[in-house]
Amino acid sequence: MTVVVVILISSVSFGEEYEFDLSEIEKKPYHIGGYIEFRPAFFWLDKDAALYKLRFFNQDEGNTIEEYNGNIQLEGSYEKGIARLFVLVNGNLTYSYQGWSDSLDLYEGTLSLKPSDSLAIDLGKKVQKWGKGYAWNPVAFVDRLKDPEEPDLAREGFWMASADYIKSFDGPLKTLSMTPVILPVYEHINDDFGKINELNVAGRLYLLLYDTDIDLMFLTGGSRTPRFGFDFSRNIITNLEIHGEFAYINNFKQKTIDEQGKVSESKFDAKSYLLGVRYLAETDTTFILEYYHNGTGYTQNEIETFFSFVNNSYETYLSSQNRTSFTKAQNLAQGNYSKVNPMRDYLYLRVTQKDPFNILYFTPALTGIMSLNDGSFSLSPELTYAGITNLELRLKATANVGQNKSEYGEKPSDFRLELRARYYF
Amino acid sequence: MKKILMCLFALLVAAPAYAIDGDELLKQIDRNLNPESYEMYRKIINIEPDGRKKEYTLFSVKKGDDKVVALFLAPASEKGRSTLRLGDNMWLYIPNVGKPVRITSLQSVVGGVFNNSDILQLDYAAEYDVEKIEETGNEYLLHLKAKTKTVAYDRIKLWADKNKKLPTKIECLTEASMLIKTLYFKEVKDFGGGIVRPSVMETDSPLYQGYKSVMLFANIKKKEFKDEVFTLTFMPNIESLRK
Repeated sequence: MTVVVVILISSVSFGEEYEFDLSEIEKKPYHIGGYIEFRPAFFWLDKDAALYKLRFFNQDEGNTIEEYNGNIQLEGSYEKGIARLFVLVNGNLTYSYQGWSDSLDLYEGTLSLKPSDSLAIDLGKKVQKWGKGYAWNPVAFVDRLKDPEEPDLAREGFWMASADYIKSFDGPLKTLSMTPVILPVYEHINDDFGKINELNVAGRLYLLLYDTDIDLMFLTGGSRTPRFGFDFSRNIITNLEIHGEFAYINNFKQKTIDEQGKVSESKFDAKSYLLGVRYLAETDTTFILEYYHNGTGYTQNEIETFFSFVNNSYETYLSSQNRTSFTKAQNLAQGNYSKVNPMRDYLYLRVTQKDPFNILYFTPALTGIMSLNDGSFSLSPELTYAGITNLELRLKATANVGQNKSEYGEKPSDFRLELRARYYF
Repeated sequence: MKKILMCLFALLVAAPAYAIDGDELLKQIDRNLNPESYEMYRKIINIEPDGRKKEYTLFSVKKGDDKVVALFLAPASEKGRSTLRLGDNMWLYIPNVGKPVRITSLQSVVGGVFNNSDILQLDYAAEYDVEKIEETGNEYLLHLKAKTKTVAYDRIKLWADKNKKLPTKIECLTEASMLIKTLYFKEVKDFGGGIVRPSVMETDSPLYQGYKSVMLFANIKKKEFKDEVFTLTFMPNIESLRK
């Protein structure tokens, strides 16, 4: 028979009695948790935008559309001896102008073995989270792309075998850790990573050297062209941190289209890099500023040509009901042209103010992302309140601003308003 | 001559009462508060002016002068988050979201009056020099000055019980001696293993009018850990240290 002893530590403080129930800190071999979320969103459509035409070419939904999202993220773990099983599942139910849709994805599922504090071996589906950038991570060679508008969202991992070996030292080099990764790409296993029937090898070396975080990483193996890179992060002064990333991608292949719809492929060595600062002002205002050069992105001319082709195909479709070239545009839009930020140079600024007007757990923020090549940008003010235990409320608006044939000017909506209520359990 | 000898004798007898080694006293206070390497559990309660409360439970591990980690066990919205401090470097790890990001000592991962340096507290002697000691009744008053500019508070006034050599009150000040917050140490308790120390720390601040925070301590145990535990790579695995 197990006897559960509940010990309460009572303390009188500020005239009130507080209790520390020690059953709260009792370690259990298993854990189940996560969150459930309701997220209604309203979009004000831009009917002249190229990406609107691609999506709504044969239907008129009016000037605004609504979307109701229900999301559940469930995580569970079980630990026995040196082994730990971890599962992270994401489920989504959406009602939009297209009706009901749902999805259920295994984001992570790993068996970890930890024979010592210096060594961990992971087998299964995992997110490696390489890179120091907040909005973009050009060195995240074995992860899915991050959405700079929601960089804090959990992402789906890839199936892999990896290990972490850590060694600490005295002196200027305080920590060294190595992370070798084997990432298989076969039919039904990571088949969206790249070319199938390839066994890819990647690795990361982390150093804490002279109070600076430094990572060196590489990926090779055939599913994607070989690439290597590095990142760093350091506090210059207590409240000012700088970080950066550099990635060199060998023989990157890029498909482009001309105004007549002819697709051509070019091959080049791409260099992507990011430089950023994070500054905390005395007023408890945090500024994150990042510049990102996307060496695999399209030039302004290339993206304008794509939008021209979409517009021309749409006109052809309207006049002749011939969908050939329009379908081609839609297919291309599924590829690199539809990446979150498909162009070359970007600037990101996020300003968050903690607890303004002495309202605890209230955080207003303003986020701006600018495509420097065409001057278009998105601006997102948001208000977050997390004052009720395990409940987080966020109201966020996003305006897309730009000329014709610019990245943000051709987004399907001009304005979006979204409420997110998330309850953790 | 006799008078001179008497004066010299009187000075010799009196000298020990005034020759308190401030740095040694501060080290003693540190050791009485916590073993050099330990694990412990804490509950932080933030109290808003209207009486609303938010509670956080943390598991913490410290080694030597400059290494400390804290893992959030509750509430559910924070569970699995961990913070690491290696000297002046601090990081926050949020599971399922991203890699550890650098944070500063002045920020607060829990909101409220406690900031990150309060949560990831190192030994006072590791961060401060004793400038002056005063004796006030049953207490010492130590005037501390930060060793470097990276320390969260430029100056500290620390009141300590003379017999127990434990802090009773700490005022955290700016370089210009402006009060940032006051910490009150209460309810001395025997945690076992020779650890007898306050089990409650309260704080209030003129910068957060009406807000208060309380830290409750439990299960403080002397324990040794490998250096590798205090690394970025280990942050997702801190739960494995709990037995």
